[in-house]
Amino acid sequence: MIALQIPGPSWAHALPAHVKLLFLAFSGALLFPVKDPLVLGASVIVVFGFYASLGANGLAQLRLLRPFAYMLVFIVGLHALSGTLQNGISIALRLTAMVLLANFVSVTTRMDDMLDAVRPMFVPLKWIGGSPQKPALAVTLVIRFAPVLLTIYRNLQEAFRARTGQKSSWRLIAPLALQALRMSEHVAEALTARGGTKGLSGER
Amino acid sequence: MRAGRVNGGGQADMAFWSKRSKTNGGQAFNLSQDVYAAFENVSLKLGDRVVLNSVSLELRERRIGLVGLNGSGKSTLVRLLNGLRLPDSGTVRIFGAPTEDVTGDLPRHVGFVFQNPDHQAIFPTVEEEITFGLTQLGLPKKDAARDARAFLKLHDCERLAELPFSSLSEGQKQLICILAILVMGPQILVLDEPLSSLDGLASRLILKKLGSLEQRIVMVSHDLSTFADFDRILWLDEGTIRMDGVPGDVLPAYSADLDRRAANAEAGGGAL
Amino acid sequence: MSDRSLVQIAFYAALIAALGLLPPIAIPFLGGVPITAQSLGVMLAGVMLGPVRGALAVLLLLFLVALGAPLLSGGRGGLAVFAGPSVGFLIGWPVGAFVAGLIMQKTANYNVLVSAAFAAAIGGIGVIYAFGIPGLVVMTDLTFAKAAMGSAIYLPGDLVKVAIAAIVAQTVARGLPHALMSRA
Repeated sequence: MIALQIPGPSWAHALPAHVKLLFLAFSGALLFPVKDPLVLGASVIVVFGFYASLGANGLAQLRLLRPFAYMLVFIVGLHALSGTLQNGISIALRLTAMVLLANFVSVTTRMDDMLDAVRPMFVPLKWIGGSPQKPALAVTLVIRFAPVLLTIYRNLQEAFRARTGQKSSWRLIAPLALQALRMSEHVAEALTARGGTKGLSGER
Repeated sequence: MRAGRVNGGGQADMAFWSKRSKTNGGQAFNLSQDVYAAFENVSLKLGDRVVLNSVSLELRERRIGLVGLNGSGKSTLVRLLNGLRLPDSGTVRIFGAPTEDVTGDLPRHVGFVFQNPDHQAIFPTVEEEITFGLTQLGLPKKDAARDARAFLKLHDCERLAELPFSSLSEGQKQLICILAILVMGPQILVLDEPLSSLDGLASRLILKKLGSLEQRIVMVSHDLSTFADFDRILWLDEGTIRMDGVPGDVLPAYSADLDRRAANAEAGGGAL
Repeated sequence: MSDRSLVQIAFYAALIAALGLLPPIAIPFLGGVPITAQSLGVMLAGVMLGPVRGALAVLLLLFLVALGAPLLSGGRGGLAVFAGPSVGFLIGWPVGAFVAGLIMQKTANYNVLVSAAFAAAIGGIGVIYAFGIPGLVVMTDLTFAKAAMGSAIYLPGDLVKVAIAAIVAQTVARGLPHALMSRA
């Protein structure tokens, strides 16, 4: 499956995932109350510098944020209408800095590492009788089956077109949901046949 | 007798497994006994429909095939072997242990391969798929990944290790599904129409692979030619065993019955 | 949680992701605002799986997005979506799925089409906007009225999705009755 990450190595890839996550949380908390456009503008420049330090691949990332830019224009416009243009600009700068920083963490961290970094969060599941392994297994299942469901949708589309000549229809969503459910029954059975989510290690 | 061993066959598997001390979930299983599965007056309903009607059987042969029409109870019968279904009445014993007492431990001894590999493979890549079986047995992830790699090499599939499962050919997919079960070291391998999505060559190669294995095999198939080398065939009809014997007796009788039914029926919706 | 529930939750998360990956439909008479099928997936999760499993399916999808999977419509993903102005809507998703599932359960005696439409409208629009608009206010410092106005352009598309969710629920109830887990 496609992922957001840009290929490493770089200084940012080398940092452990939990360090990056803590840094992101800390920066967010720090930036949130700031109103001064100069400070916020400086933060945006620093974050741009992070991307620039990754080279051409890093700078190419900034292009992906175009849809986000439209939203910012819309927000600044609404503020301008209310006569709070300066406030609007501060907010746009703060959102830009935060979104770009969050994205920076995502594009320099592999999903596996991210999962490992947050795994301790699932330990409490043990206290309520759950298994901390389950979230990871569920994540794997989604990654495996999201593309399969897209393929099923394309097959339905083909069958639909063969009989109607039309390209696509919302009416395909019901059969897609049905097929997904049927398939989930098979997959659940196959998982049980291999010892299920509990495993066979003897721990229950 | 069986076809000759293909490379990386059963004996290598056994060597692979003898390296580790295999904890045996409970003491209830007696793995040395001859009869690996026994059905005692087993009945089972799905809703109002009787799927199996007081079936009694002892399975001891190395290769057992199941034939019968859709809805005859084949799929249910094989699911009873691995605890996916439990009998409504009667008892199924695997190596002497009643399945309802050992449900959670059955996958350790009875591997189950499904018809559609896409329904069985849970993980995005081949290596993860094989690793899962070992982590299920309680191996730490690192050791499991290393052993999975070794197991793939043993079966000449090393080059597939890092490929996404979806990029494999149908035959490769089914082979990986079988290996993902074999890596757990089961005594019995149950296969529910494992060849139906494969082309002629792939199904011959999978059969050859199965022929090379040490495991006892119980297999459902609609393609009667796949059973030529088997030791025993069970013919299921409306939830009962209609005939039970060597392929040379059962398969021609089953085939003749199909011909007779087709000849006597109208080619309309009623008979289908 | 059984193996079956876990796999169902994962399949619904995958289904929401797949719906988000379908190309958006721009409906001209609605002013050309692109409609993506993704929030339809959120409504369906609640309506089909019931409150707990529906909400968990949505949470699972958001968890994957946070890990860096580009599974939101338009290929968006990563932590950035949670730092943006529309984060309130994302927070509203699992709650909306939960409420939709709860309504399906509580109205189990009514016609599937009617109660699914009601559940999808309250959970999939009411609840999600109830989180989304205040979220927008917090993130952008806009007045509540302006934030609500800005969100209203999506309302017609969401109403279309409510209708589709209701029809899908009814179709599934006919085609595979036990699959409507919210009523099982």
